[in-house]
Amino acid sequence: MTLLPGRGIRALILSFLMVTACSTGGSTGSAPPLAGCNSGTTLATFWTSHTPPDSDSLKNIVTAFNKQSNSTCVKLVQVPGSETDIAKLTTAVRGGTGPDVYMLDRFTVAERAAAGVLEDLTPYGAASLGSSYLDFAWQEAQFKGKPYALPFDTDTRALYYNKDLLKAAGVDTSALDARDKPVTIDAVRTMANKVNKKDASGNYTTVGFIPWFEQGWHYTWGFAYGGTFFDKAACKVTPDDPKIVQAYKDMFWDWAGSLGVAQAQTFISSYAPPNLPTQQNAFLTGKLGFMISGDWVLGNIQTYVPNLKYGVTYIPVPHAGDAAATWAGGWSMVIPKGPKNGKGGYEFMKYIAGEPGQRVYTKETQHTPTFKSLTSDSTLFPGDHSFFSKQLSAAHSRPPLPVGGLYWDQLSTAQDAATRHTTEPAAALATAASATNDKLKQYCPLA
Amino acid sequence: MIAAPRLRLSHDDWRNLRTALPFVLPWVIGFFAFTLYPIIYSLYLSFNQYSGFGDAVPVGIANYKHMVSDPLFWKALYNTGYYTALAVPIGLVVAIVLALLMNQNLREVAIYRAAFYLPSILPLFALTFIFIVLLNPRFGAVNYFLGFLHVPTINWLGDARWTKVSVVILAQLGAGGPALIFLASLRAVPVELYESARLEGAGPIRRFWHITLPLITPVILYDLIYGTILGLQIFTPAYILVGGTSGGAAYTAGPENSLLFYVFYLYKNAFQYSDMGYASAMAWVLFVISIVLAVLIMRWSRYWVHYEAD
Repeated sequence: MTLLPGRGIRALILSFLMVTACSTGGSTGSAPPLAGCNSGTTLATFWTSHTPPDSDSLKNIVTAFNKQSNSTCVKLVQVPGSETDIAKLTTAVRGGTGPDVYMLDRFTVAERAAAGVLEDLTPYGAASLGSSYLDFAWQEAQFKGKPYALPFDTDTRALYYNKDLLKAAGVDTSALDARDKPVTIDAVRTMANKVNKKDASGNYTTVGFIPWFEQGWHYTWGFAYGGTFFDKAACKVTPDDPKIVQAYKDMFWDWAGSLGVAQAQTFISSYAPPNLPTQQNAFLTGKLGFMISGDWVLGNIQTYVPNLKYGVTYIPVPHAGDAAATWAGGWSMVIPKGPKNGKGGYEFMKYIAGEPGQRVYTKETQHTPTFKSLTSDSTLFPGDHSFFSKQLSAAHSRPPLPVGGLYWDQLSTAQDAATRHTTEPAAALATAASATNDKLKQYCPLA
Repeated sequence: MIAAPRLRLSHDDWRNLRTALPFVLPWVIGFFAFTLYPIIYSLYLSFNQYSGFGDAVPVGIANYKHMVSDPLFWKALYNTGYYTALAVPIGLVVAIVLALLMNQNLREVAIYRAAFYLPSILPLFALTFIFIVLLNPRFGAVNYFLGFLHVPTINWLGDARWTKVSVVILAQLGAGGPALIFLASLRAVPVELYESARLEGAGPIRRFWHITLPLITPVILYDLIYGTILGLQIFTPAYILVGGTSGGAAYTAGPENSLLFYVFYLYKNAFQYSDMGYASAMAWVLFVISIVLAVLIMRWSRYWVHYEAD
């Protein structure tokens, strides 16, 4: 027997109404939206792509915020993503299901603002907060003169060395321990070469120093060699600056050549394969004598290898007497387009990126705050952390460009080519320049 | 010339159609809203500069012209072509061999079938993570066994010459799906043919070559076309294999961008560089390439596919 047409439609409508009725569970007045929140608060969602141990600290900050706020209840959600990959965010925002607050790598703020992913924070009153933050961090949070983010943490980079490993290789570390001035790259090379060891099959079992390991990026060595990555007046990126080309030649091309291109890569693939857990880092497991990395490693050492005998000093320089150079990165809090509770989200942003949030994050993760009043609080920087925070005043930062992510990828491609001896640094960096400038020109002039 | 007969529906037919429509409507709406509309919209976007937000700015064929001068586009196309050319034939052979093994007349064949099929139900995501451990140049099981054969250390995921081969090997863990289809076609081959061939003195290889293989060619054709289209869309393994490494290559798609497959580069353009217009143009070029390849394979198949009705 066939159903009558009318009955078919009626059945469909009835099913639809039932589904709708089931899915719209009514709110129960002023009950808190989540456990741990106060009554009468409204929900704001906060997304981060961070993983432990940093995300544990974010959870603690959210819990503390929820306890004290009478108007907003924040729900922390961990989502897939990375410094430059925000696929989850963009698709959600387009679909109208984006969060109220998102944690975004600060050097991409201009890029995402240019793409229209972010809300201008001027109507929320963010413009008046500029003086509370370190200037470079505040500048990174702007696009065309308007604030699109509140700066969160920052970090600086330095040279870590494994004292036991160096001592066992007969290296005198007194020049590093003194920490009064940066040592030269040649001095580090001499020390590092003593640490290199191979097994019977010719594979490295320990390596002194791989300059491009961890945070030994293009920016790290480019700044160390005095290079300039962006010409603001010409509105052009300048990775082909001769100083950057020289940095690539010395630290990537020549260094890879002396270690052996294939052997160095095999060591990295063995001890630093993709998606490796933090605690298995080759420096932490005693396979590397030197490593360039940031202040967060202090926290990792404390958590995973508290007995490691290590030291921290300036990033080495090309010539004796050169000034020490490092760069500062960090993250920020943004409101993506179309928030459901922008006001509540901003209230949380002011808290987490303000004094209370940054204080907890600095204590728990050993990152460095961008909130000015905290940078002079010595209780926040025990032990070696103070060395990193002191470098901040002279630290460089990446140019905040609307094509910042693309530029980073292009510099990385050139770096990869240099460490593998596939394209000479000058040619690889010229390609990076033209590819990036090609995309950048549509945004010029940058205000 | 005879005109096509006009579709005439009886009263009952109309009534049935009216009854059925509300039930198929969700699918029809879904198809129009989530498949057809995005396809047409992406064609429109391919002629625009669009970040995914705000207004799209018409740029004519600039996105298509940019591909010609974009070295990474050609790199991605080369990587994808290389992978497909290697993965499809190897996948075909592996699937047929698996199907032959599953087709053995043994009591415990059901256990073997389940064992061979098992990797195919595991998520590719999980398989890829396992693969990273197996392919570690110093501590992985693969190099450990190759060491017994005195094969020098291979840096599977860190050497551009081996990365795509690694992904091809990884793809074979999913051969269980096609193998099941081949198994069905093997079981459809009439037993009498084997019996009479055996009586004529044909050995197992001859029987396979002259009976089995010709009779499963329609399924080989299906697998070839399907495998080629899937091969051109390879994405997940590369996405995971290049993820978060402290070795300095996290922002290139594998060593020397050797895992920058076409769809991976498309994804990067869309979601990392906010260039939806260029990504859409790339999608349409891939669509055209897929169609052309499918048509070429179909034409080529006339020379070697045997249908039972022939």
